[in-house]
Amino acid sequence: MLKIVFGDIENSIYHPPTYFDNTYKDEWITDPRSVEMIKDIDKSDVIGSRVIDSPVLGSISVKELSGGVKTLLLMLFDDSGKIFNASACGDNCAKWIYEISKHKDLTIALHHIMDFSSCEDFSAYIINTDKQVGSYKEYLDEAFRIEER
Amino acid sequence: MKGKYHIIVQNSRVKFEFDIKRNITIVRGDSATGKTTLVSLIDTYDRLGADSGVEVSCSKRCLTVNNSNWESILNSVSECIVFIDEENTIIKSDDFARKIKDTNNYYVIITRENLPNLPYSVEEIYGIHTSGKYADMRRTYNSFYQLYSVDEQRMADKAETVIVEDSNSGYDFFKAVAADDINCISAGGKTKIKRTVMDNEGKNLLVIADGAAFGSEMGELYLYMQKHPEVSLYLPESFEWLILKSGLIDGNRIADILEHTEDFIESSEYFSWERFYTKLLISETEGTYLQYSKQKLNDVYLDPNEKEAILNVAEVIKKYVG
Repeated sequence: MLKIVFGDIENSIYHPPTYFDNTYKDEWITDPRSVEMIKDIDKSDVIGSRVIDSPVLGSISVKELSGGVKTLLLMLFDDSGKIFNASACGDNCAKWIYEISKHKDLTIALHHIMDFSSCEDFSAYIINTDKQVGSYKEYLDEAFRIEER
Repeated sequence: MKGKYHIIVQNSRVKFEFDIKRNITIVRGDSATGKTTLVSLIDTYDRLGADSGVEVSCSKRCLTVNNSNWESILNSVSECIVFIDEENTIIKSDDFARKIKDTNNYYVIITRENLPNLPYSVEEIYGIHTSGKYADMRRTYNSFYQLYSVDEQRMADKAETVIVEDSNSGYDFFKAVAADDINCISAGGKTKIKRTVMDNEGKNLLVIADGAAFGSEMGELYLYMQKHPEVSLYLPESFEWLILKSGLIDGNRIADILEHTEDFIESSEYFSWERFYTKLLISETEGTYLQYSKQKLNDVYLDPNEKEAILNVAEVIKKYVG
């Protein structure tokens, strides 16, 4: 289930890519779900746990993955209880955030309104207003009414 | 700082090429488009110069600041283009807004946040896209593209309600030109437009706001409009810009200023362009029959010839509210 909090919240990480650089584990990178996300978002191939083949940058290290992918990998694997700022992700990451939340309770922080229109049958729980939204339109309407960012 | 600057940043793998012409530029968009790479290359070049292997071509120094050094660096530089990556929370602070207001640098900020304390233009919100590769197939070419249009005409029918950001002369004008059956509302400021739009959900709406400083509201309003095609948007630089653009005042000279405003605005004097247009219009009309006041509309602007000249600039107004 996806839980969303707009604005600052305790125990959150504002810039997940930096947190990722200092906490990730090699085995995260070669997980089939990571390989798929890295291919989709960064258009890059995982060669091994420490090497990525980027069509733009050539052979790169894990630390040169995009901020969006790093944030997704934290949402997928990190078990510290931290809440990650999904505003570090572009809208092209939205479907992956939603996909991750189908398999675990995932709480994200947002400092802007993310476009989840690419997610089929979207639903989420909005922590700020204690409301369940059952569609993307309901999510938008609810998000517009919330002042916090 | 005045003017428009062409910037090329490149290494052996990637090339960025874009223009900056206002004091605040926002870069956002999808992940993995190269935003952080761009800032990183600029930072590397600023620290190491040509020894870095990075090439930066720009007539002004390009540099980066971060959470810990921004204040001291901004105290010591001028006439620079300052890049700030999204990890830096300072961009949200009032201290930062106050600080950059009085500096004569341009700022390029990577963020998806709205930043309501900064008056940036809808036209200066960009994404980065890859346009292709060079002949040697090793280097990708990346350029900026505008994320939003200032003229989103979606409605098929006339507007039922017009929502105007302005509560002074601009509102007076649009209220006067709107047909009798069209309700004209002043939102009382840009931050109240979203709420006013929601309060009028379901109606055919035309929103008119000052594009020169509406950037912070645009992202969310644009999302709303994707689900509400009954909402259209018109964002001239400002109401004063419409009058200046109409040709009522010294056509050629003013037209020249409007054509490349960036060459006439000192960024440390005008935090956003609509303030410049207001001052220009007031000074140009002082002592004439067109004397302009922001507080209350001079009735002469509603005389047939003057009204028609202004509306000719804004065809969308004729289309939806005439």
